[in-house]
Amino acid sequence: METLTPQMILVMVMIGIAVFLFIVEWVRVDVVAILMMVSLPLLDLVTPKEAFIGMSSNAVISIIAVIIIGAGLDKTGLINRLVGPILRVAGAGKSRVVIAISVTVAGISSFMQNIGAAALFLPAIQRISKSTKIPLSQLLMPIGFSAILGGTITLVGSSPLILLNDLLEPFGLKPFGLFDVTPIGLALLAGGLACFVLLGRFILPKGSMEPDEGASQSPLENTLAEMGETYEIQTPVNYTDYREPVLVDDLKRRYLVNVLAMTEPPDFKVLSPTGDQEVRSDVHLLVYGRKKDVQRMVEVEEMQLKESPEVFKGETEESTSGAVEAVVAPRSSLIGKTLREINLQDRFQVTPLAIYRGEEAYRAEIGDVPLAVGDAVLIHGEWPRLQVLQHEKSLLFTTPIDVELLRPEKAIFAGFWLAVALSMILLFNIQLSVGLMTGALGMIITRVLSIDEAYQSVDWRTIFLLAGLIPLGIATEKTGTAAWIAHTILNVIGDVQPIVLLTIIGVLSTIFTLVISNVGATVLLVPLVVNMAIAAHTDPRMAALVVGLATSNSFILPTHQVNALYMGPGRYRSVDFMKTGLVISIVFIVVMIGMIKLIYGV
Amino acid sequence: MAIITISRGSYSKGKEVAEKVASHLGYKCISREVLLDASEHFNIPEMKLVRAIHDAPSILDRFSRTRQAFFAYIRYALAQHVKEDNLVYHGLAGHLLLKGIPNVLKVRVIADLADRIRAEMKRERISEEAARSLLLKDDEERRKWTQSLYGVDPQDSSLYDLVVHVHKLTVDDAVEIISDTAQRTPFKTTKQVRQKMEDYGLACQLKAGLADSFDNVGVKSEYGSILVYAKGNDHYVQRVRKRATEVTGRMSGVNELEVHAVRKLPLDVV
Repeated sequence: METLTPQMILVMVMIGIAVFLFIVEWVRVDVVAILMMVSLPLLDLVTPKEAFIGMSSNAVISIIAVIIIGAGLDKTGLINRLVGPILRVAGAGKSRVVIAISVTVAGISSFMQNIGAAALFLPAIQRISKSTKIPLSQLLMPIGFSAILGGTITLVGSSPLILLNDLLEPFGLKPFGLFDVTPIGLALLAGGLACFVLLGRFILPKGSMEPDEGASQSPLENTLAEMGETYEIQTPVNYTDYREPVLVDDLKRRYLVNVLAMTEPPDFKVLSPTGDQEVRSDVHLLVYGRKKDVQRMVEVEEMQLKESPEVFKGETEESTSGAVEAVVAPRSSLIGKTLREINLQDRFQVTPLAIYRGEEAYRAEIGDVPLAVGDAVLIHGEWPRLQVLQHEKSLLFTTPIDVELLRPEKAIFAGFWLAVALSMILLFNIQLSVGLMTGALGMIITRVLSIDEAYQSVDWRTIFLLAGLIPLGIATEKTGTAAWIAHTILNVIGDVQPIVLLTIIGVLSTIFTLVISNVGATVLLVPLVVNMAIAAHTDPRMAALVVGLATSNSFILPTHQVNALYMGPGRYRSVDFMKTGLVISIVFIVVMIGMIKLIYGV
Repeated sequence: MAIITISRGSYSKGKEVAEKVASHLGYKCISREVLLDASEHFNIPEMKLVRAIHDAPSILDRFSRTRQAFFAYIRYALAQHVKEDNLVYHGLAGHLLLKGIPNVLKVRVIADLADRIRAEMKRERISEEAARSLLLKDDEERRKWTQSLYGVDPQDSSLYDLVVHVHKLTVDDAVEIISDTAQRTPFKTTKQVRQKMEDYGLACQLKAGLADSFDNVGVKSEYGSILVYAKGNDHYVQRVRKRATEVTGRMSGVNELEVHAVRKLPLDVV
């Protein structure tokens, strides 16, 4: 066995720092990756060229292309169109609805990013929940898990699998084909769905089992019922004569009534007035609030409540404006910021009404609440303005905006180019990145989406996270650290059957993916397990495959992006994920190892 | 129609001034009553309350929940009197306790050190030396106390609307000046001010109900919409929320209750 060199120690220290930073999150994960990208060549652990080789890697290019293709499919509304037929096929039974949507989401997730598929379907699922009267919490978790499981169906389904071939290259191992993982992935999906169908009543959150308790309504409907509706109010002619100035914020703080619009003499209308605007005499206000709050305000402030909107008749029509619920996306730039800092009123002329976090509703002084992932913000505004906000992508809209800027006429092109990309990879054995980029380029040329939209859709955080961690893998391998750790672990666990070794690797990957990102876990573990497998005379490709698959086994904690996204709308708590996730995770490992044994005969 | 707080050192004739102002304006004059009320309402010996607010806190006390709780009780008792309006309060730190109520006339009455020493010598029958050191010690204690609770120096004149030096001006002059000032516009009790007093009372009441178990909480109320800020982990905030819901359930005049988790308590809370 090799001796431990100073370089190996240095590499392990760097891994330690990376893992530590991943867990404590003092800086964002992608910044950690860039830190690695820069510090490794400075410490002479990799060459400068190796440090940035991740940028041009097959994996990174593939992910960029997959994101663009996904955005193209999204733009054409292809996915929304799938929902109707699916529901017709599924019928009314809960299990059938769950299976039908889950299989569809998994199918989509198998050739685009999991989070993308999950986000695309969120509005549709809410509609389905409403029309079928199935509680949202009973739908979202199975579907979210299916989106993650669907990522294991093809080699482009999830970032770890896209990375896998790149990580195998230094070892001279044969790369995997696009559909090599498909039987395993399908078995995993089937296993997961079987769990939900058979054990659903035991493992899904119990609190929402009673559909009568209003749980069958979408959160937005509940929200709207709690929040009230729009009212038009007029201030008296002498309103400001005998009282201290009253500001828009004062009304909000005192009565929890939101001012959506206000007239200003002579005949201007101010939409979403900012908090510091004064309420003047003889003006009309359009407010949003619960009836009892509005009535209290009218009484105390001696205002006049109109029976129905007159001045703001146009603004209150459902076709022009409304309230939507938007969820703070994982890794959104808004995390940690307050609504006051974000200043939606000024920038988008929309009014935030409430923040929903877990089971709590915040309505007072919401401008000062720092936002967290999964917080749902209720926002009122005119549709076009809400659309602008939606396109900014920092908030995920869980309520569909009716007038979407879709290009349905391009759906055929989008489908065509997806088929071209897949057939290039499958039939002509063209490299993944080249095939996918061709598809992406095709979509751009046929104007499914513009090149600017394509650039905007690319999530640079993912790109740098991937590219920055690749040199860490190289350093682990080049310095012999991976081999050393592998031997040490093997010495500890002793001489074991290949199947036992693969199971251990599976469990190890699961633990890693729960605490650090799936990409981070893959990059760190693949060189390690390949060495372990070689030393234990097991097929190293299988060991790497186990890592690539098991890093999608992220169900026990809501750390996976998809789980974080669905947590808010589904009103889940962490303990829900622990209970359900544990069952699914165990099934995952058993099915995965079983399938690998069956297919590859390890 | 005002609330007057009179801040004073010992033997500064502040008490005399306060009582005369009250009788001149027909206001209620309170000081120790607040402590007695608190003592009765929360069933805590008056001595303990006095110690909590009179002595400068030790290092240990700074982390002690009891002192904070006692303090909240006293504030609650004071808020109950304030609601009735037309009040002269010459107890401890009234001007600071009633922060946020707009019609409070904050007065500080001071006297010459020499005069104070003479008064103390006469009453306690002690030497000049002893009287001087006792007085200085007392002043210092009060300074430390306000410093530790509010981060301000009670001798800083910018804390007050009016500082009256009883030396050349007699007690009667002081009474006249203060009474005259109290009737001016800024100290009138308007509808808005009355609302603020109500809100202050609600906030103090809830705070007193929370203070025995939670120290990192702040309460504010506006038109009966109560907002509680809690600094701590999720579990802590949940506990605060539960207790606050219980307490407000027994209170009248509450329209709304929300509990927010914060990293730092805002300054304008009770």
